[in-house]
Amino acid sequence: MDNIVACETCGLVQQVDPMPKGAVALCTRCHFQLVHRKPNSRIRTLTFSLAALILYFPSNIYPLVTAEYHGLHSETTIFRGIHSLFQEHQYFIAGLVFCTSILSPALKIIGLLFISITLNWKGWERARTWTYKVIRVIDPWNMLEVFLLAISVAMIEMGRVATVHPGPGVFSFTAVVALTLLATLSFDPRLIWDPPEEKRRYE
Amino acid sequence: MNEPGENLNSDVSLPKAKIRKTRRSWWLWLIPLGAAALCVWFVYRDYIATGPLVTINFQDASGLEENNTQVRYLGATVGQVKTLRLTKDNKHVEVKARLSGSATQLARVGSVFWIVRPEVKLGAISGLRTIVSGEYVAVRPGDGPRTNSFVGAEKEPASEEPGALHITLLLPSLGSLQEQSSIYYRGVQVGEVLRYQLASDSRGIVLQARIRKEYAALVRDNSKFWNAGGLDVRFGLFRGAEVSAESAKTLLSGGIEFNTPPDTGPPATDGAVFRLYEKADDAWKNWMPVIHLDLPEQAPETEQPKQPNQSNPLGGKMKGLNDE
Repeated sequence: MDNIVACETCGLVQQVDPMPKGAVALCTRCHFQLVHRKPNSRIRTLTFSLAALILYFPSNIYPLVTAEYHGLHSETTIFRGIHSLFQEHQYFIAGLVFCTSILSPALKIIGLLFISITLNWKGWERARTWTYKVIRVIDPWNMLEVFLLAISVAMIEMGRVATVHPGPGVFSFTAVVALTLLATLSFDPRLIWDPPEEKRRYE
Repeated sequence: MNEPGENLNSDVSLPKAKIRKTRRSWWLWLIPLGAAALCVWFVYRDYIATGPLVTINFQDASGLEENNTQVRYLGATVGQVKTLRLTKDNKHVEVKARLSGSATQLARVGSVFWIVRPEVKLGAISGLRTIVSGEYVAVRPGDGPRTNSFVGAEKEPASEEPGALHITLLLPSLGSLQEQSSIYYRGVQVGEVLRYQLASDSRGIVLQARIRKEYAALVRDNSKFWNAGGLDVRFGLFRGAEVSAESAKTLLSGGIEFNTPPDTGPPATDGAVFRLYEKADDAWKNWMPVIHLDLPEQAPETEQPKQPNQSNPLGGKMKGLNDE
């Protein structure tokens, strides 16, 4: 029973011969990878979320937007932007920006790190499941303002009078977005409840 | 479709999957490594490859903004104001500015920092751009050893002109003269007023002025200086009222004119003292001395090689003066 696998892409049920280490099976019809679990899932999630954690700090310290207005130079980090929104009594928008751009990426990165580190620990299955649920809930609310930034840069390009450029923080910011995305994509939630000895077969 | 039971036993009826080698997964660790390298580079660029943090004490720092106001030199941005703080005696503002790495050489003993503000005076408008863009800190580099602590100037210091002739004029009252009033020779501007102050016995004004290097030979020991500013109104019984002004510009901002008698005396030395007359004798204006000048052909910045001829007899002395 163990050597019969259905292709996740085209649905063809097929037989897989015992494989040497470091080999993958390809579907005979559509040539997609045949896997019981996503390959290298744990190490991928771990490395992607670790890189995201490292870049999370510069993305919040360095300015996202630099504006030139008649030679007047101003730079804005996410935190300063939220601060000025609060001072203008825009509490709802300030809270929204805080949740989507500071809180939710932090939670997501920490959650993914937690899951990928504790994956081989017995007795932590419930905590892992709960964490994964939280990640699934906050996932769509991530980093909306990169798109807002793209729009505002396109709009406020007024030549000599005023220009808005993405600042040095924007690279690490987009990198955090991409890395957390890759980390969630490469994580296989079925691993959460797999017993450790079985997991070793999929690594 | 086959029955599930059959499926288990008859493997032959199922197609066989292909087997292929995979890549190793160690390269995944390069991603967090690259992220860490990027962070290290950010830190290096912002904290190690930057210039010094200089402290400037200003009497008045109005218009400066923390983390916003720029420090500029020759139109290029060379730094940014980071913090503004009162000094302990509450009399000055301590401005800390971060210079960029390439501008480290600007922070020297003798460097002058001042704040450029919009200024509208009679005869001149300056810093017009700062009305919109806000004040900025300008710097003129000195040539002493490196230092990070400066006292800010009130306003732009008069530009140093190597080789210029510095003279002192004594006058009873200032009239319409002011700093940067021009000094004319036959209507051509050849110098300017640097600064003035009351004489120590408070009976007159002591005024420091500068004649440009190429015109220094015009000033002789027996030259006469007179006030060319303001209106000169004369009433005469037969000629009625006669109004004369040197020019519209001197009418507004004041000016000094001088002339040298035809039997020219020895050239004035640096620091020579002259009396500034209220009015010129009619005879003074008609003097036509022959003085040879070594004028640059066009652009004033093209440095002429110094020649020991009559036109620049003070070259050596002035070099020494500038080193002070």
